[in-house]
Amino acid sequence: MKRAVLIIPFLFLLSGCNIAVLEPKSDTAGDQAFLIIFSFWLMMIVVGTVFILFIRFVFKYRYTDKKKNFMPKDVKGNKKLEATWIILPVLLLIVLAVPTIAITYEQSPVTGGDSDEKDGTHVYVTAEQFAWNFEHESGKEERNNLVIPEGESIILHLTSKDVIHSFWVPHLGGKVDVLPGEELVYEIRNPEKGTYKGKCAEYCGLQHAKMTFEANVISAAEYETYVNEN
Amino acid sequence: MDLSLFGITVFLPSDVLAAWVFTILMAIPIGFFVLKKQKFGLIIDYMRTTNHRKIGTLYILFGVLYFFRAGIDALFIRTQLAVPNNDFWVFQGEKYNEVFTTHGTLMIFFVAMPLLLGLMNVAVPLQIGARDLAFPFLNAVGFWLFFSGSVFFNISFFINMTPEIGWTGYAPLSTEMFTPGLDTDFYVFGLQISGLGTIFTALNLIVTIIRHRAPGMKMTRMPLFAWATLITSVLIIIAFTVLAIALYLLMFDRQFGTGFFSGTEGDPVFWQHLFWIFGHPEVYILALPAFGMFSDIISTFSKKVIFGYPVMVISIALIGFLGFMVWAHHMFTVGLGPMANTFFAITTMAIAVPTGIKVFNWLFTIRGGVIRFTIPMLFALGFIPSFVMGGVTGVMLSVSAANFQFHDTHFVVAHFHYVIIASTIFGIFAGLYYWYPKITGFVLDGKLGKWHFWLFLIGFHLTFFPMHITGLEGMPRRVYTYEVSDGVFLLNFLSTIGAFLMGISMLFFIWNVYKTHRKGEKAGNDPWDGRTLEWCVGSPAPEKTFDPMPIVKEMDPVWYAKVENRELRTTANTRPAPIETESFLPLAFALSLFLLSLGITFSWYWLAIAGGAAALGLFILRSFTDERENHYGKEDSHE
Repeated sequence: MKRAVLIIPFLFLLSGCNIAVLEPKSDTAGDQAFLIIFSFWLMMIVVGTVFILFIRFVFKYRYTDKKKNFMPKDVKGNKKLEATWIILPVLLLIVLAVPTIAITYEQSPVTGGDSDEKDGTHVYVTAEQFAWNFEHESGKEERNNLVIPEGESIILHLTSKDVIHSFWVPHLGGKVDVLPGEELVYEIRNPEKGTYKGKCAEYCGLQHAKMTFEANVISAAEYETYVNEN
Repeated sequence: MDLSLFGITVFLPSDVLAAWVFTILMAIPIGFFVLKKQKFGLIIDYMRTTNHRKIGTLYILFGVLYFFRAGIDALFIRTQLAVPNNDFWVFQGEKYNEVFTTHGTLMIFFVAMPLLLGLMNVAVPLQIGARDLAFPFLNAVGFWLFFSGSVFFNISFFINMTPEIGWTGYAPLSTEMFTPGLDTDFYVFGLQISGLGTIFTALNLIVTIIRHRAPGMKMTRMPLFAWATLITSVLIIIAFTVLAIALYLLMFDRQFGTGFFSGTEGDPVFWQHLFWIFGHPEVYILALPAFGMFSDIISTFSKKVIFGYPVMVISIALIGFLGFMVWAHHMFTVGLGPMANTFFAITTMAIAVPTGIKVFNWLFTIRGGVIRFTIPMLFALGFIPSFVMGGVTGVMLSVSAANFQFHDTHFVVAHFHYVIIASTIFGIFAGLYYWYPKITGFVLDGKLGKWHFWLFLIGFHLTFFPMHITGLEGMPRRVYTYEVSDGVFLLNFLSTIGAFLMGISMLFFIWNVYKTHRKGEKAGNDPWDGRTLEWCVGSPAPEKTFDPMPIVKEMDPVWYAKVENRELRTTANTRPAPIETESFLPLAFALSLFLLSLGITFSWYWLAIAGGAAALGLFILRSFTDERENHYGKEDSHE
């Protein structure tokens, strides 16, 4: 309870503030980080209210010897108060729902279809127990190393050869599942240069923990040479 | 380790060997105790009983046993994750995957469910003035089905065939192609048998609450635990039926080569839909009874009637209803499209509203009261802030685009442990301390109870709070190791310390039970200065309760009788009570289904047929016996 609150800043210090998800390196991840921070502070209002009321009530109404024979008055309810804590949370959730819907509509992974015509750099991702294969438009393939150009829209086409996996590069964006027999399309917009860790996020068997890869975002010119070299 | 016995060499990994040795070492003193104290009669009695308190006690006993087993699993997980690139014992790769599968499956199905059903069995009839559950025989069937399902699941570990598909059993990993061994079959049949028992018990509870309330105990005067039980039971009937169907289809896929969840006609996402249409209501099946218990406990130990009773009932019902409309929030990343992702985000957010109402109503029940810090009340008070912390991360998770980041990371692990431990586990402990006198006739020691509570609370926050951050740092769930460069070492180490604190706190609980029984101080009918009907019957609850039957005129009848210094009015004119019987049939029925499952699992079809025939035979046998005849005479078909 109270103790838990005290250790929060301590934990942040320990973690050295290198929280991958909150250091977005693409527009996609940026929007997601915004939603995380935004919902976090909205929810802190709720936590704060409950904690203040809780601490106050528990302290004020605790048993003391003076109250030994005190008989509290029964309060069956209070319409105004109850209406308050129905209406205020609804308003709070509406505030949260608006950006949620906007960003969800833009970012939700979709099934294949006519996605090939989408503008951007297309990469075909094939997952299997326990490795990743990345195929570029030029036909260039590489295992466990995703190379993409900075500043563009990266359109990922994901399929699995066996069980369900999940593609995740925390710095670049959220997860998208990789299903057998069905292609999912996910877009990462405007990634920044750098090398990031990628991993499988859906439990897929024996070596799930080791199913990692590297994501290298390089300049458009370097990407051109990369996809055409053999 | 290779073991040679009768010329057959068996490979036994050291953890399995340790389990055998440990189990045998534990069996010796227990066997010795039974022999020395001549307790065979008692055991036989409990094997044949249909009394609600005794069946409740059995549920609780095995729930606690499995809690320790699954808790040890958790300690293995945390030890393996304590430091980067760890090599603890055998828990890498396969063994680690097994241990998180059994931890999750046991904790949900064989710990939380039986403990809640046990407490319902003990307390609900007493709270509403029923002499027993409506169908005592069926109640025993329900328990023994749970028991044989749980044993079926657990033996897999002793023969080194533990399932390793996660408690969610996602296809196609759970289909025969990717887990060809018998491991997954233990998951399928273990859950199928015990789930059947759960459905029976839920039906039983619904009929009991609707038909067997004391005179004057209107629905609107029922304690909130009884209300929560009623609504939970409705959820169980719908949700567990869906689980049964999912497991049934998976069984067909595995045993007989159908393709519901794989191949060209099937789709692995079907499994996820079915599983989560069960799985999400299941979360409320676990939480709602706890809400009910907390409502009663907070009211009792604040010396006040519950604040906003009608809204409390409506919000339970609303949570239950909305609980069926949110399953796909577990599936935001499987490509259901923007429309589905938005719909399920909104419905999920909506659940926060009735839940929030409950939290504020509890707070305002406390307000103006006199809080007695008994152990049940400490757990109830610890629940409120802890649960709110889990609740708000739930709202954060409902933000579907942000969920793409949270999904399947330690953030989610933190979230669901926060809500399930804070509500269900705290609720179970609160309920156990609260109703312990009704179960055994003793009140558990307060000082040891405080040790248990505080260590558990601190350990719980220390374990799961850091996981929010490791999740956001990019640690997926269900991984057995991480690198130094992932930068999550210190937080993981804290989690491990916290897990061991929780483990130590459970030793205080066991010591408390031992000490309390050793001391043997009998509690009176009403050790807590209670409000509801269970506090007017003896401790432990006798087999013939409510004789004469009290007449209820208001909520919290025992309390207002005490306040106004009068006796409860009673009557001898009541509805026929359910008739207890003593029978081995429920046990035999569960055993026959156990053999049936064993037969199918190992493809010993003669055994499967024998088990099935036995089950059918017992059905027929039961159809021709009616223990009520001796009490009410033969039923006249012309009447």
